[in-house]
Amino acid sequence: MTMPLSIALMEVQIPLLAAMLLGACGTKVALLVRRGSADEAFGPTALFPVSARRPVAIGLCAAEFCLGVGLIVTASSQGAIARSVRGATSLLFIVATCALIELRANRPEVGCGCFGDFSTTPVSLRSLARSALLAVAAFAAIWLRPGELHFTPPHIAELVGLLFAELLLFGALSPEIGEGLIRLGYSEPCELQVVSSQRTLSALHRSRQWRRYSPLIATDGPADVWRELCWRYVVYPARYNDAPADVVFAVFLQRRRPAIRAALVDGATGETLRSPTAPTMRSRLRRRYARLAPQAAGAAAGPTAMAATANLPVSTDV
Amino acid sequence: MPVAISSFACCDRCAKLGSIPPVSGDRETTAPPGPKAAIGTAPTPTDPSAVGRGALVARRRLLKAAVSRRIPEAPENSEAQPAAGGTAALGPAPAEDRAAPEQADFADVAQQPRSVSGKVLDVSPHVLVLGDQGFEQRFIIKPDALAWRGKHLEPAALRPGDNVVVRLQPGQRDVADRIWANIGRVTGVITKRSGGTLIVDEGMTRKPQAITLDPSALGRIQVRFPTLEPGYLLDIIGLRQGAELVGLIPATSQPSYPADRPPAAPLVNGHVASAISGSATWHEQRDEPPGVLGVDYPALDPDTRCAEDVAHGGRRGYARLPYLAIGSVLRIRNECTGIDCLVPVTGCAWIARLFNDRCVTCGTSPRGRIVDLTLASFISLGGELERGCFNVTVTIGE
Repeated sequence: MTMPLSIALMEVQIPLLAAMLLGACGTKVALLVRRGSADEAFGPTALFPVSARRPVAIGLCAAEFCLGVGLIVTASSQGAIARSVRGATSLLFIVATCALIELRANRPEVGCGCFGDFSTTPVSLRSLARSALLAVAAFAAIWLRPGELHFTPPHIAELVGLLFAELLLFGALSPEIGEGLIRLGYSEPCELQVVSSQRTLSALHRSRQWRRYSPLIATDGPADVWRELCWRYVVYPARYNDAPADVVFAVFLQRRRPAIRAALVDGATGETLRSPTAPTMRSRLRRRYARLAPQAAGAAAGPTAMAATANLPVSTDV
Repeated sequence: MPVAISSFACCDRCAKLGSIPPVSGDRETTAPPGPKAAIGTAPTPTDPSAVGRGALVARRRLLKAAVSRRIPEAPENSEAQPAAGGTAALGPAPAEDRAAPEQADFADVAQQPRSVSGKVLDVSPHVLVLGDQGFEQRFIIKPDALAWRGKHLEPAALRPGDNVVVRLQPGQRDVADRIWANIGRVTGVITKRSGGTLIVDEGMTRKPQAITLDPSALGRIQVRFPTLEPGYLLDIIGLRQGAELVGLIPATSQPSYPADRPPAAPLVNGHVASAISGSATWHEQRDEPPGVLGVDYPALDPDTRCAEDVAHGGRRGYARLPYLAIGSVLRIRNECTGIDCLVPVTGCAWIARLFNDRCVTCGTSPRGRIVDLTLASFISLGGELERGCFNVTVTIGE
């Protein structure tokens, strides 16, 4: 035999409400301790003057703590005290819902502050719906009769299932869940990372692009350095074909092996010039071969080679 | 309002940035042609720092475009491999690849409202005369034109000696359709309060500002700014009376935190979107040359060594925006009017970084201040100065 769904639903509200209240109280206290002051607003306390924020914040935390503990302590009773605690919890959430509506209308930039630092997202319909549902849940729990419960395995499974479903519902209505998940696996986007110019220059000076253009660069330090999004641009004055030019590098802001682009720009016209090619292994071998060629190929070169070397300060009379 | 009265500062809207005039209005500093044009001339000496800044903007844009394109290889020999380009072909391309300047859609000059500032010499229901000793300029006042001097009034009610900002009819150089007289704005951190007078710190590069709260507006201001105490933020629009501002209109709602303890900024997951929606405000030109088209941006690269960052230890504030530099170009779209325009970053907006507020000019902006426009840019994008802000979408990487 299974218990009626309505009774099971009422039963799961007590632990859920108590967990929400104690969690909210804990995160608020943590925030207040971290700030070292209760004068700064969080959530609906922003609606109060500065002088009233401290008592309101402390009162809110105290109310959440007392009601959370009260719900747990009176969970198995049906007396006036238990009903009063559940009624007060419902009233707290009704007031909170009204305060959030007010906050959304007058201070749209302020988060609900329900779970301290996690609740910085501006009040949305989700936050409002959650608060209203919690008020309904607390209201429903007022008429709970513990005597109607039968703690048999099927009943416990039913309760756990309902609790899980309700947790999912409240999770979907909680912007704090997304915020928490972001914090868990957060890595700052490159656009927001602080990367020093020094590090960028070090990466640049180790790069192939630097080796390619450095023969043209005329000064030790860059003429201009600036950053845009994930790229830092570095400009060096240069000489190219005996005319002033600029070598501009774009360095991607990442820690290891950043992508680097480079261009040679005419200093007078601003036109992009054809850039010198980086020395490849093949070109290096060819150059080395060219240096050795006169000695190695001299004997077999024939008249053309002899003619080419006739102007050398070496006697060719023999 | 401390404008350079000796000049007519004309914002010539969204000019081509490739040849950006550092001080827009250069055409207006000489006598404009036409029958209603100036009598006499009083050319304004161009501010050298502004010239340098304008040249910097153009130069950086040019160099960025050059490095963002694929660079042609000089063939060392016919067998040179394309791979010789090395890392140039690797990795993500700079933003310019996505929006090369040649493809950038600059706004049509004829579509943008322009602005002129100066001192009223004479005014009648149909003609407004601005000028200074030996230099004056006449503007036809549109029949439906509105003026503002603390409140809306007929243009004919302006007084000689008023410092005005005139919005010109788009495409017409001598037709005024909106006039603001003696308007001023102070945005900053309250440092001292003495009765109804507040001293406000606007940052290292600006002088402290004195605000006297007008008794008739005090109630309205205190609704939006309940904490008029040192350490809290303030943003008030009012009437300039010399160096002092008579506060009349709260430009936003006061953040509930002290300026030195802003809340933790929301984390940004993944890559930052290239288009960011938020709020655009304006600031008085103070020491800037009049008529500059530009924008102060809250997140300049810390290596830029913005004076405020140096003074305040690089505090991040609330706004988390992608880092840019002086000369970066933003496409700013006024979501209330639909006007958009390319505007270069010309300064750092330290104060804007501290505000976590919303603009409610046309709906609630999704986030707080993302750009702080010069007065000329604000008008050029269709903003109403006395409203203080408009909702914008800013596209980075143009």
